[in-house]
Amino acid sequence: MSVELPDHTHRFLEGRFRGSVEEATGATVRIRLPLSAIDRAAAVLAGEGARFVSVFVADAPERSLVAALAFRGRMVALRSPLGDAANAYAALSLRLPAARLAERELHDREGITPLGHPDLQPLLRPDADRFETRVAGDESFVIPYGPIRSGIFEAIQHVVETGGEDVLALETRPFFKHRGLEARFRGLDAAAGAIVAERIAGIAAVAHASAFSQAVETAAGVQAPEPAGLWRAIHAELERVANHLDVAIRLAEDAALAVGAARFGILKERVMRARARLCGSRFGRGVVVPGGIAFTPLLAPNDLREWLAQFERELAGDRRLLGHTASFTDRLIGSGRLDRATVEELGGVGPVARATGVSTDARFERPYGAYDRIGFEVVTEDGGDAMARLDVRFGEIRESLHIIRHALDRLGRTTERDLRVPVAPGTAAAFGWSEAPQGELVYWVELAAGRIGHVHVSSPSLHNWPLFVSSFRGDVLTDFSFIEHSFGLTPAGADR
Amino acid sequence: MALAWIARGLRRGVVTTRYPRRREPQLDGFRGRVEVVDAERAPADLAALCPTGAIHVDAGDRIVLDRKRCISCGACVDAAPERFAFSSAYETAMRPADRPPLSVHARSLRRSIHIRHVDAGSDGSEEWEISALTNPYYDMQRLGLYFTLSPRHADVLLVTGGVTPSMEEPLRRAYEVMPEPKAVVAAGTDACSGGLAVQIGEVAGGVDRVLPVDVYVPGAPPSPIALLHGLLLAAGVVTGEST
Repeated sequence: MSVELPDHTHRFLEGRFRGSVEEATGATVRIRLPLSAIDRAAAVLAGEGARFVSVFVADAPERSLVAALAFRGRMVALRSPLGDAANAYAALSLRLPAARLAERELHDREGITPLGHPDLQPLLRPDADRFETRVAGDESFVIPYGPIRSGIFEAIQHVVETGGEDVLALETRPFFKHRGLEARFRGLDAAAGAIVAERIAGIAAVAHASAFSQAVETAAGVQAPEPAGLWRAIHAELERVANHLDVAIRLAEDAALAVGAARFGILKERVMRARARLCGSRFGRGVVVPGGIAFTPLLAPNDLREWLAQFERELAGDRRLLGHTASFTDRLIGSGRLDRATVEELGGVGPVARATGVSTDARFERPYGAYDRIGFEVVTEDGGDAMARLDVRFGEIRESLHIIRHALDRLGRTTERDLRVPVAPGTAAAFGWSEAPQGELVYWVELAAGRIGHVHVSSPSLHNWPLFVSSFRGDVLTDFSFIEHSFGLTPAGADR
Repeated sequence: MALAWIARGLRRGVVTTRYPRRREPQLDGFRGRVEVVDAERAPADLAALCPTGAIHVDAGDRIVLDRKRCISCGACVDAAPERFAFSSAYETAMRPADRPPLSVHARSLRRSIHIRHVDAGSDGSEEWEISALTNPYYDMQRLGLYFTLSPRHADVLLVTGGVTPSMEEPLRRAYEVMPEPKAVVAAGTDACSGGLAVQIGEVAGGVDRVLPVDVYVPGAPPSPIALLHGLLLAAGVVTGEST
């Protein structure tokens, strides 16, 4: 079935994929193609500026291979039905290097071979003792960092090959924490699904619950009431502030800036306590559910406004001092430099991408919830190094506080009082997304008679690990922790 | 520049909690843990409310809540508010009666405990709450608790997450190289029982499937104060279970 498409992007897709556009709902466009055409179609879109999001096997409306790309304000899903015999297709990664990890994962999970893929080693159950080296010889040796890290960090392994000081080669091995949580959604009702989503990446619980809930809402054809959208934005921005401050703490610790780390530690703790005062959970859990929000705000809007003003004053002083502390900035400037072309080639997202001038942000590209009514700036920097990434984060904290104030104003004006609408138990499937503190997070959720079927999560942390590897250019071992922490990624989110 | 930082640090004054010498003020509405308000004459189907099987109705129709499995999702509180409620209690750690604290083996260990953290498959939130223990609000060094980089220097292994297949061997090895006496603290519901991931089989259960666990700190995630309570229980500085 072909649908009439109103705007320029849709006209382009209609023209390019004549007769293949089978569905267009909201910001999602689904295009049906034969399996042999999917790699070329993805390459054509990438040539027009599309960013690779994910590739996975969906069960609805029938078992299909789906390649998702973000393209001019739309989520474009290229879909090919998989017959019983279909177990291979031409790898997307040949033309889209951004698809490499996703295709490796697909191969592992589904047994479908992306033909021509450069590296199909197993991904999901890594062995800490078995890794390949690339340059090791008489002049160099291997340091496996992890999976047990030095410090309070999540498990991941970085295999570093070095001649003593320089980093000659680096391989990042995620999935030590693979818990198989996507399968845990199956059979649950929509409300219980949010509980699982919140526990995929605990430090981005609000972003996960929002992306999941929006997928369910799109599938069910309902919209969360306006106040619920505003409260979701408030919680999501507090989560972003806490995440960005966490990066500042870790970088200050790396630079042995004890008082600086303590100061940002105080600020982060105050955000966590404010979140607990708002909803009872320091991580904003139990707030976002399909259909709206599931809590009565415990804190009056005016108390939150007062809190914001005081918090902003203190943060400004610490930030200014940090920017003038040469022993700190010296370690960040020039460290782990990425260029824009690499970020675009590897489909980078979040503050890491924005620090190279790539203005990508799901809140702006495909506005969801309250974000189409709240003006904010997508903060970018051009440096591409650890310093630029930190500057982007501080800029985003400023914007987040601004968004929260706006949302509170709108909450004061709106006459709508509902915080949650019922979600009818239907049979449908849809994408949902949010901008997590780490970057764009995308959920694919299938519903059958109100029960959740297949769920696929495309996580910003997994997207950005290859960029972490690419950012080592002439950097030495002592830069390692600065660069890693400046990326601010969460292995739990990547591994799922 | 160092002076400017010190001045900023001093200006704020002391924010540090006095716990455990004084009780920490409890925050209204904080979802510290789930309590059973009314356990009697419960219908058997109440057990179905819990996604992790923490609720059990025994032969006498009484509700038994297994805290080690509770992920604080609130599904039971929403569905049966007359039976379950969130409480803001924060001392949630538990030490099985047959596991004596470290102070029984070496008295000096009450004032200098070195802790090695291992992530065996957490969702990442436990790491944040553990890191918070060194911020000025909790400042665990004042209690003689220190993080150490090597398990060879550690008295306590603080484990987060249900153990994934890839982390089982590294976790076991970290424990084996620790000197005696040593204690294992399971931090968070996932570490206590495996949490939500158990039913799908990738994670077989909690840390006690791999190592002997001395103290369980349930919570998803446990708050920093709950973690302090667990560490002090392991050391033998505080005794008894929760309040």
